[in-house]
Amino acid sequence: MRLEKCWFCSSTIYPGHGITFVRNDATIFRFCRSKCHANFKLKRNPRKLRWTKAYRKLAGKELAQDTTFELERKRNRPERYNRELLCATMKGMKAITEIRKKRQDRFYDTRMQKARKQTRESEKKSLLKDIHLVKAPESLLKDKQQDLLLEKVAAEPVATVEQMDVQE
Amino acid sequence: MPLYNFKQMHVVPSAAAFIDIVLSRTQRQTPTVCRSGWKISRVRQFYMRKVKHTQQTWHEALTQILEDFPRVDDIHPFYGDLLNVLYDKDHYKLALGQLNVARSLIDKLAQDYIRLLKYGDSLYRCKCLKRAALGRMVTLMKRQAASLKYLEQVRQHMSRLPSVDPNVRTLLMCGYPNVGKSSFMNLVTRADVEVEPYAFTTKSLYVGHMDYRYLRWQVIDTPGLLDRPLEDRNTIEMQSITALAHLRAAILYIVDISEECGYSIAQQAALFHSIKPLFVNKPVLIVCNKIDVTSMESLGEKDQKILTEMAKEAGRLGLSGAFLEHSADGYKGSLLSMTTLKEDGVMAVRNTACDQLLEHRVEAKMKGKRFGDVLNRIRVAMPNSGINPDRPPVIPSSVTQAQAMDEDNQKKTEKDLQEERGGAGVYSADFHKHYLLENDSWKYDIMPEIWDGHNIIDFVDADIDAKLEELQQEEEELLAKFERQRAQFGGIPELTAEERSLLEDIRARKAKIIADHRRAKAVADNRGVIPKKHNTDGSLNTSGMRRSLERMGMDPSLAVERARRQSRGRSADRSRNASSRAAGAEDEEMEDVPEAMKRVHSTKSRSMSRGRSLSLMAPKKGSGLKDVAIKNKALKMADRAQRRMNKLARRGEADRHIPCLRPKHLLTGTRGIGKNQRR
Repeated sequence: MRLEKCWFCSSTIYPGHGITFVRNDATIFRFCRSKCHANFKLKRNPRKLRWTKAYRKLAGKELAQDTTFELERKRNRPERYNRELLCATMKGMKAITEIRKKRQDRFYDTRMQKARKQTRESEKKSLLKDIHLVKAPESLLKDKQQDLLLEKVAAEPVATVEQMDVQE
Repeated sequence: MPLYNFKQMHVVPSAAAFIDIVLSRTQRQTPTVCRSGWKISRVRQFYMRKVKHTQQTWHEALTQILEDFPRVDDIHPFYGDLLNVLYDKDHYKLALGQLNVARSLIDKLAQDYIRLLKYGDSLYRCKCLKRAALGRMVTLMKRQAASLKYLEQVRQHMSRLPSVDPNVRTLLMCGYPNVGKSSFMNLVTRADVEVEPYAFTTKSLYVGHMDYRYLRWQVIDTPGLLDRPLEDRNTIEMQSITALAHLRAAILYIVDISEECGYSIAQQAALFHSIKPLFVNKPVLIVCNKIDVTSMESLGEKDQKILTEMAKEAGRLGLSGAFLEHSADGYKGSLLSMTTLKEDGVMAVRNTACDQLLEHRVEAKMKGKRFGDVLNRIRVAMPNSGINPDRPPVIPSSVTQAQAMDEDNQKKTEKDLQEERGGAGVYSADFHKHYLLENDSWKYDIMPEIWDGHNIIDFVDADIDAKLEELQQEEEELLAKFERQRAQFGGIPELTAEERSLLEDIRARKAKIIADHRRAKAVADNRGVIPKKHNTDGSLNTSGMRRSLERMGMDPSLAVERARRQSRGRSADRSRNASSRAAGAEDEEMEDVPEAMKRVHSTKSRSMSRGRSLSLMAPKKGSGLKDVAIKNKALKMADRAQRRMNKLARRGEADRHIPCLRPKHLLTGTRGIGKNQRR
């Protein structure tokens, strides 16, 4: 018993789920659900449908090449059971999947860098442009003058103010 | 067998039919139209072709007939004689010869007429020559009518002759009529020959076939013979004679010892002796039939003697060597008895006859010239038995030892285990115990296959620890790199809390504007405008204005006050007529209300809330109207003029008009020429 990957969307197929199609040249096509099967029958290309793993990897939406993927590989050679090796494998699996998760997160973060910048810019712009919707220009002006005054007061020491008066 | 098969011969048509066939074929296969305007050479050629074609057709048809019929001299003498007996050889030859002559005459005649046609000088003459040629050919063939008729009859008869193969192993019966020849034939072969209790039931030769010693045998039944000189014999008898004379067969001379056939044994013996020259060099058997009526023993001494004599004579005639040895009792081999009625002794007769014939044929062959040649070429190889017949099985000693060991301490088989633990259906075989693992204590481990959406087997690797180590290192490096990059480029300043809240306000406000607009739009489409006094949320009254201004960060007090002051109530004193009174009051307020300063209207002016009526406006310069009164009059007149028109609700140029997009008169109707552009 093993978990298969859907031919169309590359999702995991658990035993007892989905449908398998064997073409008359003995090629096996496994599908996770009727949606994938139906799309296959419509002769659609999974690389062109946005919801498939194939598209996401091709379009650079997801981590496509990594060492962690290479460590998980289907082997067509039967392995003889070894308890120690299995224990080591189980530990290794956990480590590998954790690392992969982190790498995927970082990938996403890097990918979103540009978008974040754009959002910030648009927000700033909106603050400048649409402020009239919440504050009247007159009140804004008033606020500004107040701010300036406060700044001035904060910047000049009390003594200097006196000096200036003297000079006048 | 099909050496002499006369069934394939073509039908010989009668003279009239023959002429029809040939002439119609000429008509069909040559051109039929000839014109007088043609060149004479073409006309000549046209008629020459006709003549030539007719001649060729005759030639071919006659040749076919001449080839089909066998020549009496060329075929086997048996058939030659049979044809002579049945159809008269002279007549047969004559008919064929006449046809042959007719054929050559036609050829010559055609040649002559073609030569004449070469000198034909007109169409008419050519045509006459052709007519003459064909006519003479037809006349020639008409004269052959008798021959053709005879040949057709011969053909029909020949096609029904039994197909006797003169060279194959043959049994031949002969004897007086009604002695039981045909009965014997019916018993021995699959043939179904007519058997009746009167003489000359069989009027021609019959052939049957049988199998003996895995060989094919031909059995010929002949018509009965009477004892009289050859010249007196009739055609039926002559057929028998022909068969006896020419076929190398075993001859069964059948004697009716009961004399029921009407002839005494002595008479039958006399016949035998009279035709015995025909039996020379053939195995001959004297077969006594009908022993169910009269047995051999009950015969008189005289008759017995006659039979013995016949048998002796038969032995002497037929066999050169083998049977002459026991000449004293030799006749016993040639004298047999049977009854076809009870079917007793029939098979013995058949077997004896066949054996004798076989022996005779072998002897004849050995005397032949070719025998020596064949013998030289034959060598019979006898294999010597070089192979050892008894080969005992070889069992290695180790195997025997192992078997002995097993008997001592027997291993428990799976079957034994099954019997011990509840038998078939209860016991389930343990496959785990046969596992080949490094450590036997692992045999019964439960191997997990799936973990967290992954196949465990996919991760199995002998040096997984080393690879993990490597991966961890790589991960550290990558993480450091990522952090560096982030520090370098990723410094996008966050918004302050104040800014964030402001932004949220802006967004909320925008959303509200949009929602309001949409609501208003939907309302405007479907319903009448709600009057302001029904404005329930209070956004359109002074308190609403106050709230909104406060939210925008402004002081609403002045604005609210002004709005209240300017609004007009419904009471009579605040109506239009009271405006002059109000003007005075306004003047008093002017000093402390700054907005009132802007008002510059005359006393006539009414509320600011209304636009000025047209009727109060002074006429424009150059309009040709003197003053307001005249202008108003003009307006009224215009209105009145329009009133009737409006009542009629006639269509005017200001009305919306949709022109007919598909004018019917341009698009309907028949289109004989396939288009309607002419309209």
